[in-house]
Amino acid sequence: MKILVPTKRVPDTDQKIVASADGLRVETDHIPHVINPFDAIAVEEAVRISERLRDVEVVAVGIGGPEYEQPLRTALAMGAARGIIVQCAKPLDPWNVSRLLKAIVERETPDLVLMGKQAVDDDANQTGQFLAALLDWPQATFASRLEFIGNELRVDRETDHGIETLTLTLPALVTTDLRLNEPRYASMAGIMKARKKPLETIAAGELGVPLEPRVEVIRYRSGDTRRAGERLASLDEFAALIAQAAGIGG
Amino acid sequence: MSKAITADAIIIGGGVAGLSTAMQLAGRGAKVIVLERERIGNGSTGRAAGLLGQLRGNAEHTRMLMDGVEIVRELEKQAGVEIFVPTGSLRIAETPERAEEIAALVAMGKSIGFEIDHASADEVSRMLPYMRTDDLLDACYSPTDGHIQPAELVSAYLKIGKARGVEYRTHTPVVQILLDGDRVRGVRATDGEYHADVVVNAGGPWSYLNAELADAVLPTAAIGHYYLTTRPDPAHPVDRLSPAIRDRHLRLYTRPESGGLIVGIYDPEPELHDMRRLPVDFDMSRMKAARDSIQVAQLLDAANRRFPWIDGRTPMSITTGIMTFTPDARPFCGKMPDIDGLYHCSGFSGHGIVQSPTIGLIMSQLILDGESTYDCESIEADRYFDVPGYVNRVEIEEKCVRMAGNYYGGVERPRPVASGSR
Ligand SMILES: Cc1cc2nc3c(=O)[nH]c(=O)nc-3n(C[C@H](O)[C@H](O)[C@H](O)COP(=O)(O)OP(=O)(O)OC[C@H]3O[C@@H](n4cnc5c(N)ncnc54)[C@H](O)[C@@H]3O)c2cc1C
Repeated sequence: MKILVPTKRVPDTDQKIVASADGLRVETDHIPHVINPFDAIAVEEAVRISERLRDVEVVAVGIGGPEYEQPLRTALAMGAARGIIVQCAKPLDPWNVSRLLKAIVERETPDLVLMGKQAVDDDANQTGQFLAALLDWPQATFASRLEFIGNELRVDRETDHGIETLTLTLPALVTTDLRLNEPRYASMAGIMKARKKPLETIAAGELGVPLEPRVEVIRYRSGDTRRAGERLASLDEFAALIAQAAGIGG
Repeated sequence: MSKAITADAIIIGGGVAGLSTAMQLAGRGAKVIVLERERIGNGSTGRAAGLLGQLRGNAEHTRMLMDGVEIVRELEKQAGVEIFVPTGSLRIAETPERAEEIAALVAMGKSIGFEIDHASADEVSRMLPYMRTDDLLDACYSPTDGHIQPAELVSAYLKIGKARGVEYRTHTPVVQILLDGDRVRGVRATDGEYHADVVVNAGGPWSYLNAELADAVLPTAAIGHYYLTTRPDPAHPVDRLSPAIRDRHLRLYTRPESGGLIVGIYDPEPELHDMRRLPVDFDMSRMKAARDSIQVAQLLDAANRRFPWIDGRTPMSITTGIMTFTPDARPFCGKMPDIDGLYHCSGFSGHGIVQSPTIGLIMSQLILDGESTYDCESIEADRYFDVPGYVNRVEIEEKCVRMAGNYYGGVERPRPVASGSR
């Protein structure tokens, strides 16, 4: 079995992020970048499957510039077998990302595409759905549990109404939610091995997919970054505040 | 703000060093203002594990730490919080060199009346059922050690400091040190000038940059540090009073935390940070380790050798922060010869939490009395003043990084042929 895991490199959203003065971009240069947390969950799940079942190859793919080596090396250190960078200098919207990914799927013919439900930088939550539609594959979004039963895949999805269980025939596409697993930290052996694992670079142009932008970013604006919270000096102060809010005592 | 604010002392930095110093100075009637660029305790202080091992190679340092516990007991009473958790501590040896080290330590401790004794592997495994012990050659146990809870310590310093009239200003970076010839006159912060005859640079990892504001060289470097905290696991319960462990061979230390275990490492190849390159509003509590961080991998590998149930898939959180190292792992407390009124208090090399109670007292003595009741020779701020090899940043950083990297490792390097005594 082959599992393809698309990954995105995103700024660490726990850092303070602001829009540039002209509003045309988000200032992220000074901020550490990480593998999109939902993608890390997808990598973890794929690696766990490869540890559980025989003959499973996990292939991680990223689209962007040379800096995409970083999230791919993370995926390789966590246990993916090889990586593919689709070199593309232009920023892409989810539609075009899924079209490029479709071309990769056609080259790699995986049985399962496992990817984050969304990237935490733009929170679009579209790429998985677009890709499944383009491939005409069954899809299960927001997965919180995966299980192979024979040739089928049983997926629990988190919905607003509770857990929905779907059975998919392969090939299929699944997007991961937060509770699916807790991604591991790579071991030293994992990191050393990752340095020798193959990382292939393909120019986006070679994939024969003419880009057709559908989303245009007009402007970024920083939200109010002040958090409503306040730091208290002691538990007593905290208890007093709670008591006050609840109308008890003082 | 148009008119300058005046005080007896301005403290740059609201970490444990600045807070303790402020509290002690105010206790003797001084008017003190603490200026903090972020929130109180947002520097190293907010990241620390707080381990307290009182027995040090240097007898005076041991005295400072033991007295620190007394001060903390007093703070606990005054502030009504539990700060010190007396878990006791164990040092373990899995190599003959480490066993020798333990034998020497026990002998030294006993000679100064410090409670410490050898512990057998059986005793150790009874105390710490969650630790691998089959490879131990020796161990020693000190019942009076433990850890200090950094947040509680900070809250006690603040509570008592406030009661004594200390003023704390957060989100107020100091950007200039005001000098009048070779005398300090105060500081300029982002909201205006503060005038005082005494300025204390307690800027933690930033302290070398603060020193540069007065053209002074403070030989410290900002060093990355990592520990993990496992989530409580019914299969491996960690009692809240389980002894802290130091395993110098694996470079590890541990202590209990909320039913889980903290395991930290003194990395042989530590990360060096350039504080100048961090954003002005850098928030240390938001530092995060990558899933494929070499430092975390090293920590996990070492932790797994001592605690086989811990690996990369164990539910845990990773804490990373920046600490301040000096070339000899001892802090800088006091003045430089060429500027009057400017005191430094920094460079605690991974021990600032537990040193801070006594250091605050020492600083107040140095500032108000010109001398201390402690022998401060080994922590004087000017011990590298104008010393060749300790002047430019590159050479300073190289020495501090080497010290940090060897911090737990010392014994593994080949030693000169024994000269009879040890
Ligand atoms: C991961 C980790 C684990 C640790 N574990 C332990 C341990 O187990 N035991 C132990 O004793 N110690 C431990 N330490 C070390 C301990 O945290 C430090 O030694 C101690 O907190 C130093 O206190 P400080 O006040 O000198 O520095 P900090 O806490 O860094 O405080 C300095 C403050 O000064 C402020 N500042 C700097 N420059 C300016 C300026 N120009 N204007 C205004 N404000 C400024 C900073 O914002 C900061 O808040 C650990 C540290 C780390 C990072």
